[in-house]
Amino acid sequence: MRAKISVEQIVHEYFNPSTWQRVRALDGFSLDVPDGEFVCLVGPSGCGKSTLLYLIAGLTRPTGGRILVDGREVVRPGRDRGMVFQEFAILPWRTVEGNIGHGLEIAQTPRRAKEETVRRYVALMGLSGFEHKYPHELSGGMRQRVAVARTLAADPEVVLMDEPFASLDAQTRNVMQEELVRIALHERKTIVFVTHSVDEAIILGDRVVVLTGRPGRVKASLPIEIPRERRRWDVLGAEERFVRYRQEILRMIREEFDSQERAAEAVRA
Amino acid sequence: MTDPGRAGPRPAPPLPVRTLPRGRAASAAGAAAAAAQMLAPFVLFTAGWALVVGVTRWPEDVLPSPFAVARAFGEVFAKGILVVYAGETIRRIVLAAVTGVAIGIAAGFVMGLHDWIAALLNPPLRFFQSLSGIAWLPLFLIWFGFSDKTIVVAVWYTLVFPVAFNTMLGVRTVPRLYRYAVLTLGGTWRQIVFQVLLPGAIPYIVGGVRLGIAYGWRALIAAEIVVGSGGLGYLIFKAETFHLTARIIAGMTAIGILWYLTDYFLLRPLEEATIERWGLVYR
Ligand SMILES: Nc1ncnc2c1ncn2[C@@H]1O[C@H](COP(=O)(O)OP(=O)(O)OP(=O)(O)O)[C@@H](O)[C@H]1O
Ligand SMILES: [Mg+2]
Repeated sequence: MRAKISVEQIVHEYFNPSTWQRVRALDGFSLDVPDGEFVCLVGPSGCGKSTLLYLIAGLTRPTGGRILVDGREVVRPGRDRGMVFQEFAILPWRTVEGNIGHGLEIAQTPRRAKEETVRRYVALMGLSGFEHKYPHELSGGMRQRVAVARTLAADPEVVLMDEPFASLDAQTRNVMQEELVRIALHERKTIVFVTHSVDEAIILGDRVVVLTGRPGRVKASLPIEIPRERRRWDVLGAEERFVRYRQEILRMIREEFDSQERAAEAVRA
Repeated sequence: MTDPGRAGPRPAPPLPVRTLPRGRAASAAGAAAAAAQMLAPFVLFTAGWALVVGVTRWPEDVLPSPFAVARAFGEVFAKGILVVYAGETIRRIVLAAVTGVAIGIAAGFVMGLHDWIAALLNPPLRFFQSLSGIAWLPLFLIWFGFSDKTIVVAVWYTLVFPVAFNTMLGVRTVPRLYRYAVLTLGGTWRQIVFQVLLPGAIPYIVGGVRLGIAYGWRALIAAEIVVGSGGLGYLIFKAETFHLTARIIAGMTAIGILWYLTDYFLLRPLEEATIERWGLVYR
């Protein structure tokens, strides 16, 4: 089967005008994501996870290599690839409703259908009663949920999510995770999900991809073979495979962290 | 006397965060208080002026008393001169402001969107901005003659710069992330301009418009003096040839009042409304 997303030998460099130097964020990064897969990316801070999502979204062009979605090279952003930004990026001059319905508005969805979808996501994200509020009147966690709802409501085939649950409390996060999995399975979406939480990655992912430190490459790719119905917080602690995945991934992240520390020391010496 | 705002059987409402709709009597009393506060300094000033005239007893064609000015004001009003001339001035400022603001916003957007155009235009624009519109009047007179065209161009000249620079600044301060977000929702360039950049820049644009119209108003009066085809500027200038000093001051008063009313009832509420509606969101 052809991959939904193929990232082929991507190199990406940022130019830093103050030091007149190039920073290599990604170095020969390759990854295939089959249609309908939920893949989680974990890796040290600054290893290029957000950069990778920007590239798949088509917001930035890579320095080298190419990215195919449905076999076509990505050259610009499009509504087939939705993105939840690490910084939320919801529009401050639109209400909760206005933000969530924005993608549907752009797609010129008939009003009835749009309102219906917005209502559904407002309820799903626990935002009832806040429909007419502006983002500055919301808590950080609520803003993040608006951002998630906005992207999902637009119904893209590929959903790129950059730590979308980072500012939620544990309780809300669990609910959101369950909803996301339900939507992903039900609507057969391809999801690339960046997170710093190893537990979250194992609970959500069909596969967890561990990245090396900067410049980012794929360090390991682990299919998670725990059945979905057993991935609930209350029973997961007893799941012996969960504990093993967890140890394995944490060990790899630790390794990357240590090697970065050593590299930094070498530079200083 | 008791404070009229507190009169009435009901206790005063808790301090409203914004002005909430209140009782008619209370709002009338509030308006009266605001008007009194607005007028008090002018009353004081006029009293001082009357005192100076009373003490020095300068001739009326050097420094007329407030009463003489009030009489002159009544006279130009009764003869219908004031209404006609003020009408001319208002027609010109509306024409010049509407078109000038449109030009300024468009120019500001182009500069805000394309760094190279801004870089190219910035030095010459700063240079030309330093020459006030009035300094251009001799040239404009040669090019456009003693006509409305000269006046409108002089007003444009002063008004377009602040509107354009503020718009450019506003467009630039809209975070790139907002554009990205709308692009990933499938937004087109048109939608980016009208749904992201324009609303994002609005507080800046409105500030620029208020400033621009204030500058434009002054340029308008100056241009009317020079061109001499009607308007309040011409009214006060013509009065000088007949040594009608009281009429000059009456005309100046009319200019001041008109501006004050425009700013108080149109521009300031517009700015406050945008700050309340949009400004808060910038956090
Ligand atoms: N616009 C930019 N200009 C210059 N350098 C950048 C830019 N964006 C990112 N970088 C650099 O590229 C590298 C990768 O950044 P990126 O944001 O992709 O990391 P990340 O994996 O998402 O990190 P985090 O987990 O902290 O979000 C970092 O070293 C960062 O400093
Ligand atoms: Mg990131």
